[in-house]
Amino acid sequence: MSLTNGHGLSPPRKRDVTKVTLPGTALYEGSHIDREEFIRLVIQSLRDVGYTESADVLEAESGYRLESRSVSAFRQAIIQGHWDEAEEAMDRLGAADEDDRQSAKYMISQQKYLELLEAQELNSALTVLRTELAPLSMEPERLQLLSSLLMSTSGEEVRRAAHWDGARGLSRQYLLQDLQCFIPSSIMIPPQRFDTLLQQAREYQRNSCLYHNSNAPFSLYTDHACGRDLFPNTTTVILAEHDDEVWDIQWSHDGGHLATASADGTAIVWRLGPVDPSTGRECTPIQVLRNHPCPVNGLSWSPDNETLLTCADQVIKVWKAKTGVCIKELTGHSDTITAVEWLPDGSGFISAGMDCRIVFWDAQGKKRDTWENLSIRITDIAMDRSRLIAVGISREPVTVDPASLLDSQDRNGRSVPSPTEGQVESTLEDYGEVTSVKISSDSRYALVGHGPNEIQLWDLEDSPHLSRTYIGHRAGKNVIRSCFGGAGQHFVASGSENGKVYIWQRETGILIQTLTGHGSGTVNCVAWNPQHPSMFASCSDDKTIRIWEPQPNGLSLEDTSSKGKQRWDMDSDAMG
Amino acid sequence: MGWIHRDYLHSARIFGCSTCRTHLATIESMISRAFNGQHGRAYLFDRVVNVYSAEPQERQMTTGVHIVRDILCVKCNRVLGWKYDKAFEETQKYKEGKFILERALLTDVD
Repeated sequence: MSLTNGHGLSPPRKRDVTKVTLPGTALYEGSHIDREEFIRLVIQSLRDVGYTESADVLEAESGYRLESRSVSAFRQAIIQGHWDEAEEAMDRLGAADEDDRQSAKYMISQQKYLELLEAQELNSALTVLRTELAPLSMEPERLQLLSSLLMSTSGEEVRRAAHWDGARGLSRQYLLQDLQCFIPSSIMIPPQRFDTLLQQAREYQRNSCLYHNSNAPFSLYTDHACGRDLFPNTTTVILAEHDDEVWDIQWSHDGGHLATASADGTAIVWRLGPVDPSTGRECTPIQVLRNHPCPVNGLSWSPDNETLLTCADQVIKVWKAKTGVCIKELTGHSDTITAVEWLPDGSGFISAGMDCRIVFWDAQGKKRDTWENLSIRITDIAMDRSRLIAVGISREPVTVDPASLLDSQDRNGRSVPSPTEGQVESTLEDYGEVTSVKISSDSRYALVGHGPNEIQLWDLEDSPHLSRTYIGHRAGKNVIRSCFGGAGQHFVASGSENGKVYIWQRETGILIQTLTGHGSGTVNCVAWNPQHPSMFASCSDDKTIRIWEPQPNGLSLEDTSSKGKQRWDMDSDAMG
Repeated sequence: MGWIHRDYLHSARIFGCSTCRTHLATIESMISRAFNGQHGRAYLFDRVVNVYSAEPQERQMTTGVHIVRDILCVKCNRVLGWKYDKAFEETQKYKEGKFILERALLTDVD
């Protein structure tokens, strides 16, 4: 008996396979998995991979079939372009609802029409348009577009204008996928269903893995869990050159240098060296950038890591990072500048401040544009290739604190964007500020530091909405700059007014680490190394910067726990 | 201390530091114009922001002995006036916890 269906490419084979009859419907005793569902998913996977003989044998032995004959016939009809047969098969397969039937018919006719056009059989195409598409069409604009294709003079032109890859492309496969939503999934299983389920399991395990800090794929054979041994929870070097509080830090894009800004009126460029087994991480100051009129509160590395910007009150300085030479001093603000940031393409940079102003500069430091009289006093900005986000304090006389998300597509600054009031929240008067903003590397999320005591994750897709909050740290009056970090930006990290560093799992908001080490005062900024997922830096009122890494010297967690630090063991137990 | 953004006030009339234009007080929080300081006319305010206070000291005023502290601008550190910690005479008690800013050191800001 021929069992070929689905991809149906293997020749029929004579083979004696005895059907096995099993009791019940569960996969095995005590299982909650339905046997038929499971076996059909396996058969589908085997066919997808190309193990068609095995699939045939499994169908015979289990008595379950991936698809009925009518599904196979339907699939074949679509793939081979037999449209009349396809419509008949579709009718047989389900689509109880009349609307669904109409929609399916329309999709099939549209494919037929496009293929006729592609083959330049214009008369037949016109007939399909008039007798099949026009009566069924719900969207006049779509019909207009379809009829305009009649003017095309070649198949190539049709494909381009219709954004459709032709009869020989994947368009029939796509049509099949689209039509599948009208057919009950028990009759025709969604494509690659097993794979989808395993991906979900993988995602679940990744999200359950608190210290997950690797992009390497992991095996299906066991439950995945990263140990803490890859997690940066140890200070490997303390940088103590500044004479006053350190307020901002930023890694160069290649991760090889760290710039630090201090209330002592200087910024320092440090070079990250190797790890010495006895003394820890090497990190040496290579340039001290002086002569700021007051505390340095902002930094930005150019995309090529050659030029560093610093800002202090109302002045921006432009430095050659290698030589420490100040090549420009810029003024353009009438109140404290709170943030400077290079454009991602390196064509210039922008500055923003408490004067409700955003200034656009070219790479040479020439002013290109200014947006004035914005509705917020800006406390921080973040940028990706399509978007500028500014956060701040409302100018309006209100006793609430609107963390305005000011979103613009036009970073050339030709027009003042209309600020969208992302959220208006009641907070204590004069208490509660929006002090920092970062955009995730996939451009989907914004991380907004929000006093008191909260960091917010905003989903920027569609209309911006609050997705998650991170709590546990202390942030009241101080400007604290938080960040994403780790492999896949799996973590959120922040300083705190109690001198500790806090790290949460981004996806779940679970607080996974509270790191002590800095002296009293506020940890003002945490910056994750963009190239080394297991390294970040923090800076504090205690005048120092700390670099955090996994425990060096091959001193693994087992070593530590064997010395009696029992608390390390908790996770190991959970890992099983 | 860390980096702290200065307070910004909302009012039709805002008094700022004449040196660095930092916001200090609003017309709504003004209690009296009838005071005198080192530089002439001075105003009494209920609430003043962006200042820090020096050590308390006993000072003989025209209205009697008071314990006061000088107040300084958080940004430029200029002495702008004083704050009353304590008044000893019953009629002067209303000044306790209030602030004096000298008119000559103020400017209108927005």
